[in-house]
Amino acid sequence: MRRDEEKGEAAVFQRVVLKNASPYHYMKVCLVLEDESTKLSAVELKQFIITGLKTLYGEVGAALNFDLLKYDEDTFTAVLRVYSKWLVKLWSSLTLNGFYQNQACAFRVLQVSPFLLALSGNSRELQLD
Amino acid sequence: MSVFVDLNLSYTADNNRLRALIETAAHLGFSTVAINYVFEPTTKKKQEIPAPKPISALIDHLPIVQGRSRPITVLNRLTVVMSDSSHFRPNAAEYRGFDLLAVYPTTEKLFHSACMLLDIDIIVISVTEKLPFFFKRAPVNGAVDRGVVFEVCYSAAIRDSTMRRYTIANALSLMETCKGKSVILSSAAEKALELRGPYDVINLGRLFGLSDADAKEALSSTCRSVLLHAETRKTASGIVYTRRSCQEDSPQPDLCDAPAAKRPHLAE
Repeated sequence: MRRDEEKGEAAVFQRVVLKNASPYHYMKVCLVLEDESTKLSAVELKQFIITGLKTLYGEVGAALNFDLLKYDEDTFTAVLRVYSKWLVKLWSSLTLNGFYQNQACAFRVLQVSPFLLALSGNSRELQLD
Repeated sequence: MSVFVDLNLSYTADNNRLRALIETAAHLGFSTVAINYVFEPTTKKKQEIPAPKPISALIDHLPIVQGRSRPITVLNRLTVVMSDSSHFRPNAAEYRGFDLLAVYPTTEKLFHSACMLLDIDIIVISVTEKLPFFFKRAPVNGAVDRGVVFEVCYSAAIRDSTMRRYTIANALSLMETCKGKSVILSSAAEKALELRGPYDVINLGRLFGLSDADAKEALSSTCRSVLLHAETRKTASGIVYTRRSCQEDSPQPDLCDAPAAKRPHLAE
């Protein structure tokens, strides 16, 4: 259910209320590669994740939908969106992905949240004075 | 809730790699890790039990755990690979240097004796080969009652897809017998990239047939009870604990070994 505040002007902010479990989960993941000079485009990353799903769960697993919303090529950090029901499958296949083109790699799952907004900040990276 | 613990980082002679492992573990949020020394006796010749390296020699400045302001705790652990009952020598002096003691039984008979008799903390479940025996209720329940836990390592599953099949199959058959209690999940990582974060491992526990709560316990409270069990192993029922307190430079060091009643009176 969505309700725009301040009807008269353009909505500055928006209140989101979920009455049931949220349909999507958002994951912020970072790919760590052994050889840091490797280049990886967004398409290659998605293909790599799908391959991982396929090796762990087969064709049925590779059929599960997920979206790569944002990807930063410099830091290999990506934001993924997946149906909540399939979160466990996607996450476990990310965990068990150990090799990218014969070099060791690891997915570090930085944040997981049902709200995309939550990924905009990370309390673990706060610098407290 | 207690903190996250990883009780198995493989020991390598390469200090830099070990340091990288400990640093990665701290960065991922593990508050305690144990360095695992594997001892595999063979029948041919007598072998030396590895001596644990002092932690201060490995790493001079322990890294701070992510999300907490304390440095990581590093322990030593010995795993004895048992293919014969004589391979585990109870009360061996070499075992005392280690904080944790684990065995890896390879036959059903040894598994039974490890569960029911041996004075150990951890029983390692094979993840690299098809299980040579079934887990029976009686020994598993006996181990649970004695406070001995079962360990499933996940890094073999990352390395190789055949190992992954064995890991999942063996873990599932263990969980069927012990119903998710008294199980710990650990990495057995040799490289820093084989380590995974605690929440990743909890999620992985779902694949091994653990519920969410049990998987979280497998990384935190069960590990804590293993550490406490290891403490009690060194003491008399966890109540009394003796230790030699005389220094090298004390005037009469040889007297300290004799019971107090038999010592000559120094005051005279």
